[in-house]
Amino acid sequence: MPEDVRAALQGVIADLKRIPDVLAVSIVRRDGLPIVHSLPKAMNPKKIAAMAAAIVGTSEMAAVEMGQGDFIQSIVDSHGGKLLATGAGEEALLVTMVKEDANMGLVLLSVDRAVQTIAQLLDGDELLQTEAQT
Amino acid sequence: MSDVRPSEASRARTGIPVLDERLKGGFPRPSTLLFFSDKPTEKRLFAEHFAVEGAKAGEGALYVDFYRAPQLARRELGQFGHFAPDQITFVDAISSQLLMPSTEPYRVEDVGDLRGIIETVERAIEERRPSRVIVDSMEFLADRFPKEDVLREWRRLIDVAHRAGSVICFLFINWTYRDRDLQEIRQMSDFVVEFQSSMRGGIVRNTMRISEVGDGGVQTSWIPYTFKDFIGVTVYFPRILVTGPFNAGKSTVVRSLSEKAISIDRMGTTVAFDYGNVNVMGIEAELFGTPGQERFEFIFQIFAREVSGVLLVVDATRTEDFDRAKHMLELVGPRIPYVVLANKSDLPGALDPEAIARRMDLPAGTPVIPTVATASRGVRDALLVLAEMIIGVR
Repeated sequence: MPEDVRAALQGVIADLKRIPDVLAVSIVRRDGLPIVHSLPKAMNPKKIAAMAAAIVGTSEMAAVEMGQGDFIQSIVDSHGGKLLATGAGEEALLVTMVKEDANMGLVLLSVDRAVQTIAQLLDGDELLQTEAQT
Repeated sequence: MSDVRPSEASRARTGIPVLDERLKGGFPRPSTLLFFSDKPTEKRLFAEHFAVEGAKAGEGALYVDFYRAPQLARRELGQFGHFAPDQITFVDAISSQLLMPSTEPYRVEDVGDLRGIIETVERAIEERRPSRVIVDSMEFLADRFPKEDVLREWRRLIDVAHRAGSVICFLFINWTYRDRDLQEIRQMSDFVVEFQSSMRGGIVRNTMRISEVGDGGVQTSWIPYTFKDFIGVTVYFPRILVTGPFNAGKSTVVRSLSEKAISIDRMGTTVAFDYGNVNVMGIEAELFGTPGQERFEFIFQIFAREVSGVLLVVDATRTEDFDRAKHMLELVGPRIPYVVLANKSDLPGALDPEAIARRMDLPAGTPVIPTVATASRGVRDALLVLAEMIIGVR
């Protein structure tokens, strides 16, 4: 049931947003398309999704090139805050924006839990086709 | 169908230009359409869009709704754009089910009486002579009455609508009928519009396909679509890849097609990707531009998924890059529609499309379109040609 999956993903986002340091969250597909998000109006979810995919794709390649093994996450550290792009199973990425002075221990723990849930929700979901009758 | 060829003016436009073009201006009047799907939402979206599109053009529509109160249906139709309220007449089949009073001119008194239901609809068609009629939906009747009776009344409704010159749309989900009955229902129709949705990685994709019943008619591929408030149904390509060799003008193509584009570039060359959102001729598309240099080829692994079509940009003056262009096409994957943009066609030494097709050894019929992306020349045509290829031939 696609609607159930989406509702469950919304739930994952809601849980993360309960942490005061978390500013915005988006779940995107690894090929750069937004799945569900709770981003401020000023942010374009499509652009964020594409950029997160490019960041992760590039980071993964770098990790492989440098012989550092499997990719876990990219952290973009800026003066105004941090952006975490974390692998969430085969299909998805979790994008989390946090305050600059965030308690990263708590954030990373919650992100880790969230990506496991997302992976469970989406990886079982093989192509769900509803063939129209002909 | 009548053998008189109706002029474009007598056709019922869908309001989606690429489809209307395919349909030579819209669905012919009169005609019978069958909207087919497994789930209720999808076909209704298109039916509502079709009714409102008529109302916006000043045509009358009749909406037979077995599920919603007319007040509610009116409000929902408002999401498709503004129209004069009296352009759409409702046949109210709800108030009697709820034992409520109705202010609608056409009211089904007893939903247990098939003949009575159809008579009410017939009367509404004969009196209002609407340009478009929506029956939402036939499975409501198929679930309640014997098949033979439903099919007989269905035919009768088609006759009445035909005489009134209406395009009549029957929404239908098959839950009970056999293949043979379905075949018969298809044969009663002039066009079948099928709807389908799939989900992959948490994202739902909707597609539809239009087939004219009988030989040699219109037949589209599965067309991806989406719904937008106040616009209604639009054709939607979630990913058009813009690719080609280094310095061919890919970023400029993305920029010239999009209202707002972003480019992740350093020192004049794209290092990650370009992105732009396009709205043209009732088509919405997301453009993803790739880098051209080989060292950024890994970007293809990220973005070359679920690609609707490719704009392959080449520098028309640089034959030495043509092999690279073909290689990039292979990176995207097989059997994906593509158009070649012969860019910088205003420069001295630019090859003409035929020469480029020959040099690149392109399959016969591959469109090669001369463009000057810096002046936005030809790029929009190229996108429309690609859109038509994706939507399907004939």
